[in-house]
Amino acid sequence: MIKCRELVRSIFFLDILKGMLLTLKSFFSRPVTRQYPETKRSVQAGYRGLHALTKHPATAEARCVGCGLCAAVCPSQCIHIHTTEGSGNTKIVERYDIEILRCVYCGLCVEACPYAAIALTEHYEYSEFSREALFMTKERLLNNYDAYMGREKDEQYFLSYWHPRRSDFGLPKDQPKFRRRS
Amino acid sequence: MTSGGPFDFSTRELVISLGPQHPATHGVLRLILELDGETVLKCTPHVGFLHRGTEKLIENRTYLSALPLTDRLDYISSMINNQGYCLAVERLFGLEPPERARYIRTMVAEMTRISSHLLWLATHALDIGAMTVFFFAFRERERILDLFEMLSGARLTTSYARIGGVKNDVTQEFLDILYAFTEEFPEKILTYETLIDRNRVWLKRTKGIGVISAEEAINWGLTGPVLRGSGVPYDVRKYDPYDAYDRMSFEVPVGSVGDVYDRYRCRMQEMRQSNGIIVQCIENLPGGAILAPDMPKYILPPKEDVLMTLESMIHHFVLITKGPISAPVGEIYSSVEAPKGELGFYIISDGTGRPYRMRVRAPSFVHASVLPRLCKGGLIADVIANIGTIDIVLGECDR
Repeated sequence: MIKCRELVRSIFFLDILKGMLLTLKSFFSRPVTRQYPETKRSVQAGYRGLHALTKHPATAEARCVGCGLCAAVCPSQCIHIHTTEGSGNTKIVERYDIEILRCVYCGLCVEACPYAAIALTEHYEYSEFSREALFMTKERLLNNYDAYMGREKDEQYFLSYWHPRRSDFGLPKDQPKFRRRS
Repeated sequence: MTSGGPFDFSTRELVISLGPQHPATHGVLRLILELDGETVLKCTPHVGFLHRGTEKLIENRTYLSALPLTDRLDYISSMINNQGYCLAVERLFGLEPPERARYIRTMVAEMTRISSHLLWLATHALDIGAMTVFFFAFRERERILDLFEMLSGARLTTSYARIGGVKNDVTQEFLDILYAFTEEFPEKILTYETLIDRNRVWLKRTKGIGVISAEEAINWGLTGPVLRGSGVPYDVRKYDPYDAYDRMSFEVPVGSVGDVYDRYRCRMQEMRQSNGIIVQCIENLPGGAILAPDMPKYILPPKEDVLMTLESMIHHFVLITKGPISAPVGEIYSSVEAPKGELGFYIISDGTGRPYRMRVRAPSFVHASVLPRLCKGGLIADVIANIGTIDIVLGECDR
């Protein structure tokens, strides 16, 4: 019986036809692909994209104090900070440079910063024709914050991606858990 | 054999170089093939085109900073690499990640296994000539990558696991979407099987090709689906359960003959098992912390405390700049079941904040060494099937 079925299958190309039918079916279904430059893909919240230096909402000045922890933790060592002494024993962040082309977008700089001074925005289209255009200075990083973060995303949004929080070590009130769909 | 004469049809050996820039070698693998007509007499793999010195780089990084480098070993299953590395470091430090973190790690590891097997299925079928599967498999893989992006902020180089837990908690939206995915996914596997499982071209290209017996597979040091295809039920998840695997019920699918087709069947069944594990993880996800509490010398303190309490600030600065300087002296080998096979991390600690030496036991490297054995005596067309079936990633092979 099984032999007979196998024979029918091989004579009438049933194995191939089944596959062809499936292909034909998907010919009439909606395509899942996007035509990229025309229709852009929206990223998920918390995407690790272009860097930005955050500003104080009140004073609009950079939060960065130049402690150098981000430069210390960076696995690709692409952050360079130069500080000088200002009047009254203050520390001034003179230069804060990120070599974008060497960055691996791991997000450890955000995790290391005690002041939430550096952020990874959700902007991901920044190809350029020269290396210099992708060398981020302090001014450019502050501008990135205005352009891709400060306006539409408020501070609370950004802070929610700043880990670890105290709740990560304990028992938070409403933790996500499995719920059956109604 | 004498040459010359009008009726001399003798062939001569031909040496060709396959790769490193060849789409079917799945990366930058170079094979020197010595051919007699279409028969392969000898096959010599040359590796090292993607060598980045990861092991050496890690010697100069703290335990935390070394984590993103492990993403780039097997770059299509980075979640499991992170997990394996963190597990090794945790076992070295004597840390116990909390229950919720274990479940989340198990869940994302199985998602990675599905996505890695889908990529393998797509490219392997494409190499052999079944192009349609490629589109179907990538459709589902895309959904998993979207979920990774939602969870960790990156699609491939996730850097999600942390020493002592995970980076951030899952969201309710993530769990809901993932659960909906697991409900639909078994049907999708059936779709792939409709396309190739009984297809005569597929059967002709895979059955009886690249046969390796169980004994020989063990002797070559094979692990993962390549070993299980030969009928050895060895799985690190069963033999040395880590994270939450001891609480999951799943089977280890094995083959019988040990040819390309058996390994294909093994991986298809593994995807079903992984799907089941994800469901169990979501349904039984416990509440609680996601980072081990009371371990301030190894885990970054909470951000609220860093500028508030002196201890936290000191711990934070020391951990970031010098690493965990109270790390115990010793060495450890710890392995996880990666989609490719047994992925091991061997760490020697000399008590400073950086590993003195770290060696990665990469399954792809071991599997690439078996290629000469699989290809010898076969046809040149089957070389491509053999490269596909051992499922190597050169980022991990060359490190």
